[in-house]
Amino acid sequence: MPYFNIIKWIVWKDLLSEMRSRENISSLFFFAFNVILIFSFSFSMDRDMTLALMPGLIWVAFGFTSVLGLGKSFLSETSNDCLSYLRIAPVPKGAIYLGKLIGNLCLMLMVELILVPLFIVFFNLDILDKLLPLLFVMTAATVGLCALGTLFSALTVQIRAREVMFPLLLFPLAAPVFISAVESTQGVLSGDPFSFYRHWIELLMIFDLVLTIASFWMFEFILDD
Amino acid sequence: MVSLLGYQISHTYRYHKVLKDVSLTLNPGDCYVLFGPNGAGKTTLMKILATLLKPTSGTIEIMGKDTQQSREEARRYLFFIGHGTFLYDDLTVTENIEFTMGLRGETPSFSMIRDVLDRVGIGPFALQKSRYLSAGMQRRLALAKALLANPNLLLLDEPYVSLDEKGMEMMNDCIREFLKKGTAVLMSSHDRAKAAEVASHAGILHNKTLREIPVKELGYALF
Repeated sequence: MPYFNIIKWIVWKDLLSEMRSRENISSLFFFAFNVILIFSFSFSMDRDMTLALMPGLIWVAFGFTSVLGLGKSFLSETSNDCLSYLRIAPVPKGAIYLGKLIGNLCLMLMVELILVPLFIVFFNLDILDKLLPLLFVMTAATVGLCALGTLFSALTVQIRAREVMFPLLLFPLAAPVFISAVESTQGVLSGDPFSFYRHWIELLMIFDLVLTIASFWMFEFILDD
Repeated sequence: MVSLLGYQISHTYRYHKVLKDVSLTLNPGDCYVLFGPNGAGKTTLMKILATLLKPTSGTIEIMGKDTQQSREEARRYLFFIGHGTFLYDDLTVTENIEFTMGLRGETPSFSMIRDVLDRVGIGPFALQKSRYLSAGMQRRLALAKALLANPNLLLLDEPYVSLDEKGMEMMNDCIREFLKKGTAVLMSSHDRAKAAEVASHAGILHNKTLREIPVKELGYALF
């Protein structure tokens, strides 16, 4: 059976369930909204200071939101023992991984797209001309986060201390993604020429590729064994 | 070709041995009913045969495919209805079927789905979210999926649980239909009278081993 069809069915099921229940997206949104609100009231900054701190603030908000969202990715599979069905389904497990990854990516990007205007409003940012490169950096970094988060969600879903284990596994391994994302965002927001931060974007994309391929390969062992 | 060949299957949970050298063979159209007291290892054996659990030792072949070496191929031939219903609460009954069949590479039409839902008695609930179904209706839905999948080997772990009298009759009718089509059925049950109606072979799992018994003995105390 073609890989694409399996991926399509997994993405369809995940997004449809999420759109119906709105469990994940609403909790992610309100969590991130609170983080932005707290930051905006904690710092009174001038324009230069705002631009200097903004990349860090953005990725702290997105990072914690991703822990909350991605950690639950496989939790929905545990009710009614659906995870067992995915395990014994006669399909390549890598396709299930890619389906879950795309589903998570859609969800995280949706939340991030809602949060960017909030950042602009709360911090009075003038970045409309930089939105496209910023969205590109956000997407590239979110791919890396989702690649790792999807894998670790599957790994920790059946252990008791999953809420502790998930961030413990995700944050150290996602550190290169966060560093590249913060540096790239800094470059975009400061209005630097692309060549100044190009190497960070390249690094980010290499991490995306390596993390996705490694996670894709490991997923079969995690799900089946 | 033999539908299921289990040879000297043993399983140990840490230091607790559950199964010891269990062997069984099912040919197309056979219905093997597995009995045994609680904790005898029926569900463990079912999970091993469904490729959900790796046995500590022993080999299993489904339609000639070794479940260790050709796991995905072996999985194409089997369908498992366990204690879990494998249903997504926020999808409708029809969507749950579409998803299950989609992963098997099949796309049944809405009328086919509707027919099979009518067959198991939940046709009017086709567009209802599965979270609103009762336990018995969820069992019927699992059976509807099996009917559409039309597997070579059907594994049923306590299929009569949660079903009312009519539901149990319908379950047995469906099992007979499977057997007629050449599907081999292996089920575990505590309901000897109901299981005896469809069983062609029976066995008791007791003291870690499987002992075959004549089906006509199902009316007597077994363990």
